[in-house]
Amino acid sequence: MFEKNGQLLRQINKAGQADFDYFLSCGLYNKLTELKWLIPHTEVKNYAGLPADPMRYKVIQPQRLPFVSYPYEWTFDQLKDAALLTLKIQALALSRGMILKDASAYNVQFVGHKPVLIDSLSFSIYEIGTPWKAYRQFCEHFVAPLAIAYYGSPQIIRTLSAFLDGLPLEMAVRLLPQRARFKKGLLAHLYMHSSAQRRYNARPTLAKPRKISSWALQGLIGSLEKCLQALRPPDLKTEWGEYYSDTNYTKTSFKAKRQIVKTMLKQISPRPKIVWDLGANDGTFSSLAAELGAYTVAFDIDPMAVASNYRQLKAHSSYGNMLPLVSDLTNPSPALGWAHAERHSLLQRGPADVALALALIHHLAVGNNLPLSKIADFMSKLCQYLIIEFVPKSDSKVRLLLSSREDIFKQYDIAHFEKAFADYFELVKHEKVLGSHRAVYLYKVKS
Amino acid sequence: MRLLNLFGYLDPGSGSIIIQSIIGIFAGIGLFGRKVIASTLGKIRKFLARLK
Repeated sequence: MFEKNGQLLRQINKAGQADFDYFLSCGLYNKLTELKWLIPHTEVKNYAGLPADPMRYKVIQPQRLPFVSYPYEWTFDQLKDAALLTLKIQALALSRGMILKDASAYNVQFVGHKPVLIDSLSFSIYEIGTPWKAYRQFCEHFVAPLAIAYYGSPQIIRTLSAFLDGLPLEMAVRLLPQRARFKKGLLAHLYMHSSAQRRYNARPTLAKPRKISSWALQGLIGSLEKCLQALRPPDLKTEWGEYYSDTNYTKTSFKAKRQIVKTMLKQISPRPKIVWDLGANDGTFSSLAAELGAYTVAFDIDPMAVASNYRQLKAHSSYGNMLPLVSDLTNPSPALGWAHAERHSLLQRGPADVALALALIHHLAVGNNLPLSKIADFMSKLCQYLIIEFVPKSDSKVRLLLSSREDIFKQYDIAHFEKAFADYFELVKHEKVLGSHRAVYLYKVKS
Repeated sequence: MRLLNLFGYLDPGSGSIIIQSIIGIFAGIGLFGRKVIASTLGKIRKFLARLK
């Protein structure tokens, strides 16, 4: 994989020639792209500038995604939908005489709320009798974390950042409660699978290669699908899960704030293409950016709020350009993998054209004791323009935060806020929110 | 031009191959059985419809 002048290029080696040619000629590629289950690619004829390589067969250019997300930033439903898409693709591939040779969750991305496979080179010609080499990978990347999240908390999905190759099955079965054994799918795909691994993996090779009929393979796919369908996200009540139904806004100030944000978004020129809503909750304000045509990434720390956003988007298919993600701004996704270069940090995936930080500053400054200057510095790296709401101490939400801690935040006021942000941003405009003590600022990053 | 670091190695594991063949046999029998039953019922329905 190469990146050249902002374009992604992918080299197909001669070793993969037969698989790739068959993938195109059997109609699987066309069918998958038609269904929007796979991102399309174009063949690059002129690849001058790439290093000479006798192994090279072809170079393709996959369509670039507006934003790359990772499984540890997804909700339960997103991980489950990515898993189900992988199985649907596997079933379709088998019907065309091909098989998925890997089943990594990182091969799936979200375009808006729709999962899509990004790896055209994941397919190999299926030889009858051969087992699914990626079965274990599928169980570790999808079944294990979903099962633990189902019995425990969806927060477990965030720990996948520590297990880039999926949750080891042996660890997963230790984390599951005893009653999980009574779920047929989990018994087979996790418990028995883990035992078989313990028993046979130490042996270098099987004396006789195992064959698995195509019926059995289809049965396995069906069984995995049933197992996943039976797992549903736990219904937990969280701090921010019902934020907008438990808000301190009057209808008038809520409407006024919407209008201010909308006007500010419209005022930005050129029209923003990528908007990050930091602390988006269920996407109420992110939708303003999405309505204006920007690809909007709606981040929130609360998996239940993000799940609610994702479910609404799926149910109403209202915006194909909004991606809800779980992210803790006080601990954003770092660069991970080999040489810190396989999975990008949040900062590396920016900057966004615009960042929204509405009803967020008090959580960072008061809730997490972060100095205003540090917040301004970090935000100036995330975006070109910033629409930020200042929530003063007189606001009931800040009073609530201060009710359980000593008020050591003497500098948390509008004057210090404006001074801190003026070091990194130019003020474009600011407006008070009618019927509240809050104010919204539109800033442009200083060049 | 930048070479992107995306390295993956997939070890299917002997245990995984054995267990999938066992699960596959049971699930495959079920799948095959359901298809046979569905096809037989379809034929019966067609036959009955013709009689009417």
